[in-house]
Amino acid sequence: MLAPSEVVPALTDVSFRVEKGETFGVVGANGCGKSTLLKLVAGIFRPTSGRLEVDGKVSALIELGAGFHPEISGRENAVINGVMLGLTRHEIERKLPAIIEFSGLSEFIDQPVKTYSSGMYVRLGFAVAIHVDPAILVVDEVLAVGDEAFAHRCLDTIHEMSARGKTILFVTHALSLVEELCDRVLYLDHGREKLAGEPREVLAAYRLDVSAGEGVRLAGLHSRDQEALRESPEREARGEVTGADPAPEAVGGPDEPRETPPRAGAADPGPSPGADAPAAERPRRWGDRSAEITGCRLLDASGSERYAFRSGEPLTVEIDVVPRRPLDDFVIGIGLFTPEDLCVHGTNTDVDGLVPELLDAPATVRVSLPRCDLGAGTYLLDVAVHSRRETPYDYWRGACRFRVDSPVADAGVYRPERRWTSSGGVRWRTP
Amino acid sequence: MTRLLDLYRHRALIGVLTSRELKARYRGSVLGYFWSLLNPLLMLAVYALVFEVLLPNRSPGTSPYALFLFTGLLPWNWLASSLTDAASSLLVSGALLKKVLFPAEVLPVVAVASQAVHFLLALPILLAGLLAGALGLFGPAVPLGWPLLQVPVLFVLQGLFLLGIGLFLAALTVHFRDTRDILGTALSLWFFATPILYNLADLKGHGVARLLAWNPVAPLFAAWREALFFGRWITPSAWGLLLLLSLGSFAVGWAFFDRLRDSFPEAV
Repeated sequence: MLAPSEVVPALTDVSFRVEKGETFGVVGANGCGKSTLLKLVAGIFRPTSGRLEVDGKVSALIELGAGFHPEISGRENAVINGVMLGLTRHEIERKLPAIIEFSGLSEFIDQPVKTYSSGMYVRLGFAVAIHVDPAILVVDEVLAVGDEAFAHRCLDTIHEMSARGKTILFVTHALSLVEELCDRVLYLDHGREKLAGEPREVLAAYRLDVSAGEGVRLAGLHSRDQEALRESPEREARGEVTGADPAPEAVGGPDEPRETPPRAGAADPGPSPGADAPAAERPRRWGDRSAEITGCRLLDASGSERYAFRSGEPLTVEIDVVPRRPLDDFVIGIGLFTPEDLCVHGTNTDVDGLVPELLDAPATVRVSLPRCDLGAGTYLLDVAVHSRRETPYDYWRGACRFRVDSPVADAGVYRPERRWTSSGGVRWRTP
Repeated sequence: MTRLLDLYRHRALIGVLTSRELKARYRGSVLGYFWSLLNPLLMLAVYALVFEVLLPNRSPGTSPYALFLFTGLLPWNWLASSLTDAASSLLVSGALLKKVLFPAEVLPVVAVASQAVHFLLALPILLAGLLAGALGLFGPAVPLGWPLLQVPVLFVLQGLFLLGIGLFLAALTVHFRDTRDILGTALSLWFFATPILYNLADLKGHGVARLLAWNPVAPLFAAWREALFFGRWITPSAWGLLLLLSLGSFAVGWAFFDRLRDSFPEAV
């Protein structure tokens, strides 16, 4: 038995009604209560409080082939499974040929199911479950298994059942499927109803929250990087790194995964003294520290720090620079990379026509992008301060990590504004 | 109460699952169903060897001892294996309870039912033995006759009794997994406390006899003996007691199981 402290309510304050014939999707992060909700509807769990009414025979595609016995044949298991799902022996015997045909396992149907692959297992389970002819179909993330052809077949079946007026409850992490199949969507967050309604609207909110969540995580990584950065001057003071030596010094902790593979030197906005070093030993940070970057942040339109952006939003990079001695030769640069090390953009003050005069006290430099038209994905930002002849003072790879989210499912790193026009014999439905 | 009707509605499910149990058990073994017959015979051989040769039994009422033993061992086997299977039945099929809408009570019922089939399969061997005994092949002739008609009734009563305890143990094991470990030892203690190796009447005068009379299965095993070995009619008061015990066991087991039912999907 669980102690009271171990009991966590899986669902609280969730209320919805699904009409007959509707296809209803449930989305949310892992552990948000989606599966519990489906199990409640399927009658497997009973609510500890609240009311639940289900009108009609439910077939739950929650665990396909649950209860198959490995030692006996697929055919016998199909019969038993059908009886478990509420068919009479007679009904299941009658439907058996159709089930076997649908599963595509006729060659193997008399083998014990212990010889089946997991995909075959699921195919047989699915075939039985849909032949039960339920009024309500509950589908929990089961279409992810099985091969492509079978997945299409399953989807076709679900479409067909929906066309025949069956009610379908649907849980999946494949949001495009939800968009395609569902009439309405419920978004659960930590067991609570966050939003319910039109798939487009709900999914957009969900996607945005997911990327904001990633933003929090990235911000966590960011502050860890910043702490590591603060330690580095002390190390220098202890003489572990000699100032004049451009020898690479990794700033990240020893357990910090090196997530950026070596990149082409030509693409860098600044110098890359490590270019001839073996790839695996390329440092994350190097330079003689005549000037040092002591902080680097991303800011949104309102000036607050953030690491998750929506494509097209304004974005500002803020860099704190502390010179060790007065400098009249300095360039400050940024470079934007994908995790696969593709240079998305690189620029610096020199390229953009700012002529250095003097840097003799701690300073903050900002570069603002009025529109950050990046495609959805995670990006890494390099920041650097170096001389005009590209002697590095402080070059820092992957100083910031951030996430960009696109409102629609377009592809690529660049997300230009666009407009479609057409003429001739083509017509578009107005949404 | 409606749940009890459900249990009847699930008879098709119980049927297919029981036959699956039996099919799966012998799949891949050379002798297959013969094991249902062979196992009790082998066990009988072991006990006969021990109690006829090594530790000869001296009570005259139990002769021929091999048949005497057999009439107690067969129902005991059904009891012990049913309860062992029933106790772990919910845990073994946890996936069903968690992932499918599945009537949990079916599982311990299937455990008892499939062992009942083994019992029925072994029954012809016992009858053949009794026939040989009646012809005097094992020493003193065994009376064989109409009292055998009581066997089907005893079968039903023991089935009901086992369902009760099986349901109770199945539900208990979900929340108190130690049950499975205790059960093995408890069953062997119970075995010796039940008049299988001996006749309860032979213990008259012993202090322990009064203690053993409290054993709830003692009347049942005494009844099997009466019907099969001694060829006597069971008295109406003994029938009454048996009926009471079986119904009581089933009622308590069912009530306990039904009470905990909602907790199973989350606890297994």
